Amino acid sequence: MADNLISVTGLSKQFESGDQHVTVLRELSVHLGRGESLALTGPSGSGKSTLLNVLCGLESPGSGRLAMLGQPLAGDGAPTGKALERAWCELRQSRLGVVFQDANLMPTLSLLDNIRLRARLAGRDDTSAGNWLQRLGIGELGQRYPDQVSGGQRQRAALAMVFVTRPALILADEPTGSLDRRTAETVADELFELQARHGCGLVLATHDADLAARCLHQLDLGHQGGP
Amino acid sequence: MSPRIALFSHYRRHPLQLAALAAMILLASALWTGIHHLTSQARTSLEQSERAVAERQQLVREDGNPVSVQDFVNLRRQGLCVMPWLEVPVPGRGRLVGIDPLAAHCFAEPGHTPAPWQGELDGKPFVDISEAAAQASAEASALVLLVSQADGQSPPPAGYRYQAFAVAPDTAELGDSFLLNLDALGVLVLLITSLLLRSVFLLGLAQRRESLALLYRYGVNRSQLSRLLLVENLLLALVCILPGVWLGRALSLVLADGFGQALEGLFDRPLYAGGGEDWWLPTLTMVAVIVAACLAGVRDSSGPLLTRVQPAFFAVLLALGLAVSLWAPTLIWLFLAVALVFLAAGWLAPLAIAGVVRWLARNTGDPLIRWRLQEIAVLVRRLALPLVALQFALALVLAVHALVTTFEDTFDQWLGQRLEADYYIEVPQGADITAAVSWLAAKPELVSPELWHQVIRGRASVQAASGREPVPVDVFALGPVSHLVQNWRLLAQTETPWQALARGEGLMVNEQLARRQQLAVGDRLIVRLGARRLQAPVLAVYPDYGRPSGEVLVPASLLPEDFEARFRSLSISAGIEEIKVVEAQLARLWHTPQLTVRDNQAIRTLATDVFDQTFLLTRAMTTLTLILAAAALLLMVWVFLSTRAWYFRLLIVWGMPQRQAATQLTRVSLALIFAVLVCALPLGVWLTWILVQRINPLAFGWSLPMAVYPGFWIELAVLALIIGLSIALLMRLQLRRPASAPESAHGLQGGER
Repeated sequence: MADNLISVTGLSKQFESGDQHVTVLRELSVHLGRGESLALTGPSGSGKSTLLNVLCGLESPGSGRLAMLGQPLAGDGAPTGKALERAWCELRQSRLGVVFQDANLMPTLSLLDNIRLRARLAGRDDTSAGNWLQRLGIGELGQRYPDQVSGGQRQRAALAMVFVTRPALILADEPTGSLDRRTAETVADELFELQARHGCGLVLATHDADLAARCLHQLDLGHQGGP
Repeated sequence: MSPRIALFSHYRRHPLQLAALAAMILLASALWTGIHHLTSQARTSLEQSERAVAERQQLVREDGNPVSVQDFVNLRRQGLCVMPWLEVPVPGRGRLVGIDPLAAHCFAEPGHTPAPWQGELDGKPFVDISEAAAQASAEASALVLLVSQADGQSPPPAGYRYQAFAVAPDTAELGDSFLLNLDALGVLVLLITSLLLRSVFLLGLAQRRESLALLYRYGVNRSQLSRLLLVENLLLALVCILPGVWLGRALSLVLADGFGQALEGLFDRPLYAGGGEDWWLPTLTMVAVIVAACLAGVRDSSGPLLTRVQPAFFAVLLALGLAVSLWAPTLIWLFLAVALVFLAAGWLAPLAIAGVVRWLARNTGDPLIRWRLQEIAVLVRRLALPLVALQFALALVLAVHALVTTFEDTFDQWLGQRLEADYYIEVPQGADITAAVSWLAAKPELVSPELWHQVIRGRASVQAASGREPVPVDVFALGPVSHLVQNWRLLAQTETPWQALARGEGLMVNEQLARRQQLAVGDRLIVRLGARRLQAPVLAVYPDYGRPSGEVLVPASLLPEDFEARFRSLSISAGIEEIKVVEAQLARLWHTPQLTVRDNQAIRTLATDVFDQTFLLTRAMTTLTLILAAAALLLMVWVFLSTRAWYFRLLIVWGMPQRQAATQLTRVSLALIFAVLVCALPLGVWLTWILVQRINPLAFGWSLPMAVYPGFWIELAVLALIIGLSIALLMRLQLRRPASAPESAHGLQGGER
C-alpha cells in the first residue's frame, strides 16, 4: 500500500454561474501520508467543501492530477468512464470515510441500523456495529432514530459509521460545526483519538482555528477562489 | 418588506412548488369544466327536446316519402299553419335546429300577443331556417312539418296524416340516469382534483412553516396570516382557473361530436348546439374548491397527516358504508354509501400501506431492505393525498372499464339474439298480416317454418295474482315462436319455457318488470290484453337492455281480435333470392309499391358503432382523470424528492454505485405504486359491483352480470409500472443533481422518518 494517501498536483476547479466561470480551486497541490492529518481552512466559499467532494469522487476535478491511496484517478494513467466510477465506489465503500456537518444518517433507520447498513455496504462484518456505539459512549441509544438523539450523539454515530469500515482516510467537512463548544470538543477528541489509534489519514475542513491547530498540516484556501 | 411579500418570497425560492400548484389548478379546472360542459349540454338538449316540442304534431306523407319544401308550399296554400323544422348536424357542436320565424307565430299561446321573432320558441333558442339551411347537406339534414295545435284538431289534408312529433320515445328516466352517472363522474373528478390541490398546498405550507412562524414572532397574527394565504391562493386561482376553464371547454368541444352521436344513439336525443354556455359555474366551483382545499385545517396542517386520524373510526365507517350499499333502497342512499366507502378507503389505504411496510421492516434482518421499506412508509405519509387520488382514479378506471366491457359484451350478445333473423320487414299500417302469415306458413320450401315469426307490439296491463295494483306494460307478441328467439339468454326460467310459451301455457317478463313487481318464475299474472283478461304463470325472465319500460312476451295466439297493435313486423332468415321473392309477394298481398326491409346485420353494426362511441367518451374521461392524478403525483414526488435527495445521495457517498442506488430507488417507487394499485383493486371491484348490480337496477331497472376482467388488471399494472418507473426516473434525476446538505436533519428538510 502506498504511503501517500493523497497526491494532488495542479488541481483546478471551475463552476459556471450564469455567464461567468468561477474558479474555486486554482493550481492546488496537496499531499498527505499515512497517519497524517490536514486541516483545510478559509472563509465560506473558499472551496473547502469542493476540495473534499473532489477528494471523495463526488465531484470531478477540472484539471490537474489526482491519486488517492496510490491509485491515479485524474490526469495521467487514470481510468475513465465506468472504470473510474467503479474505482471511486470501491474507495468510498471501504477505504474512505466521509463525515458531514450533519445529516450523515438515514433518518428512517435507527443508529444501529445505520451503522449496520454502512458496514454491509463496505463488505464488513456488521456484528461490531453495537461495539462501536459502545466505544463512542452511545451504546444505549442504538435503537433510537437520528431525530430522537442530540446533534452530538448523531455525530458520534456518524463517527461509528466511519470507523466500522476501517477506512484508510477520513474526509470530514465541518464535523463539529453544528455542535455547541463542549460537545464539539468531545466529538473532536474522539475523532482525533480514533484516527491516531487506527493510523488513518484525516482531512478536516473547518472554520475553527483551535481544531485546525490540532492537525499536523494546515492549508488555507482563503486565496483560492475568484472569477 | 411587507408580510405579503415575505410570505410570497417562498415561491421565489421554490418556483417548482408554485408551478405545481398552478398546473394542478389549471388541469383540475380544465378536466372538471370539460365534464361539466358536456353534462350541461346533454341536460340542455334533453330539456329542449322534451319541452320545445311538447304536445306537437307533424304532418307526414301517407305514401311514406319524406316531406319536402313542395309539401310545405302545398299545405300553406291549403291554409294550414305548418312550421318547417330543419335539423342539421354541425360537426363538433351537435345539431342545429332551424325554424321559420313567421310560421312560429301559429304556435303562440291563445291570448298571447305575437311578439317579434327573437330566435326563441317556448323560451328555447333556435336559429332562422335560412341559417340552418345554409349548413344543411341533403343526406344528413331532416325536414319536419309541425302543425299547430288548432289545425291539428281538423282532419288531415288528402295524402297526409298526423303523427306525433317527438324527438324520442319516452326515455326521460333513462336520460336522467345517464345524466346522473355523468354528474357522479363529475363529483368524483372534483373530489380527486380537490385532493390533489390540497396535497400540493399542504406540502408548500409545511415547507413554509418556518417562514410563517417567523412572521408570527414578528407580530403578524394568525388571522392576518390566514388572510394573506387566502388572498395569495385566490390570486393564484384567478390567474389559473380562467385558462383552465377555456382548456376544459376546448376539451369538451373535441369530445362533443362523439358525445352527440352517443347521446343520439342511446336516447334518440339530438345534441343541440348552443347548450352549456356558462362560464361562471365552473369558475366559481373551482374557486370554492381551491379555497376549501387550501384553507381547510390550515392550523393543523403542519403535523403529519396520518397521526391525526383514528383508524378504528374509519374502519367502522368503511363497514357502515359497505352495509348501507347492500341495503340501500334508493339512489341517494347508495351514493351516501359510495361516499362513506371512498372516504374510509382514502383514509385507510395510506395507513394500511404504512402499517404493512413498517411490519415488514421490523421483521427483516437486512438493513438495506429495512431502509427501502421505511422509505416507502415516509413516501406514503408525505404523498398520502396524491396517492389516494391515484388510488381513486385507478379504481374509477377499473370500474368504468368493467362496466363498459360488461355492457358491451352483454349488449352485443343481447343484440345478436334480438337480431337473430337476417331481415326485418315492417308491416304497413292497415295491411293484413294474417294473409302474409298464412302465405309464409304455406311456403316451407322458401322460408323454413322455424326461421320466421311475426312481432306485434302494443300495450297491456298486468297485475300480480297476489293482488298488487295493475301496471301498464309493453306487449311483445310472437307468432309462431320460432327458433330465432329460442337462443335468447334468460335470467330465470322453467324447464322448457319456449315450448310452454308456444303452447300458450304462460308468458315471459322482462327484467325491468320482474324487478319492479318483484316477480319470479312461476308467479301468476293477470294480464289485460284489449278486452281479454287472462291469468298465466311467468315462464321466464329475459334481459332487455337500454330502456326502462316493463314488458311481457306472449304468443301471438293469445292476442284477442280487438288488440290494438301499435307496430307489427316480420322477422325472417332467408337467402338473398328467397327474400326478394318474399318481398315481392308481400308487396302484392299488401298492395304497396315498396316494403321497408331492413338488414339486421347493418342495424347491429350501426348500434355497436354508436355504443363504441359512447364508451370511448366514458373511457376518455376516466383516463384523463387518471392522467391528471398521475401527473399530480409526479409533480409532488419531484417537489418532495428535492428535499430528500441528500439522503438518497448518502448511498453514493457510502460507495454504492449510482446505478445500484438508482435501482434501490426504483424498487422503492415500484413497491409504492403497486401497493397503491393493490389498494385500488378491491375498491374498483366494489365500485364495479355498485355500478352494475346496484345503481343500474335502481336507476334503469336492469342489472348487468358482475365481471371483473383480470386481464385489465394487467393493463392497469402496466400503467402503474409506467407511473412507478416515471417516479424512479425523477429519483434518478435528483440523484444526479448536486444536492445541498440540509441545514438541519429535521422533517422539514426532508429528514423525517
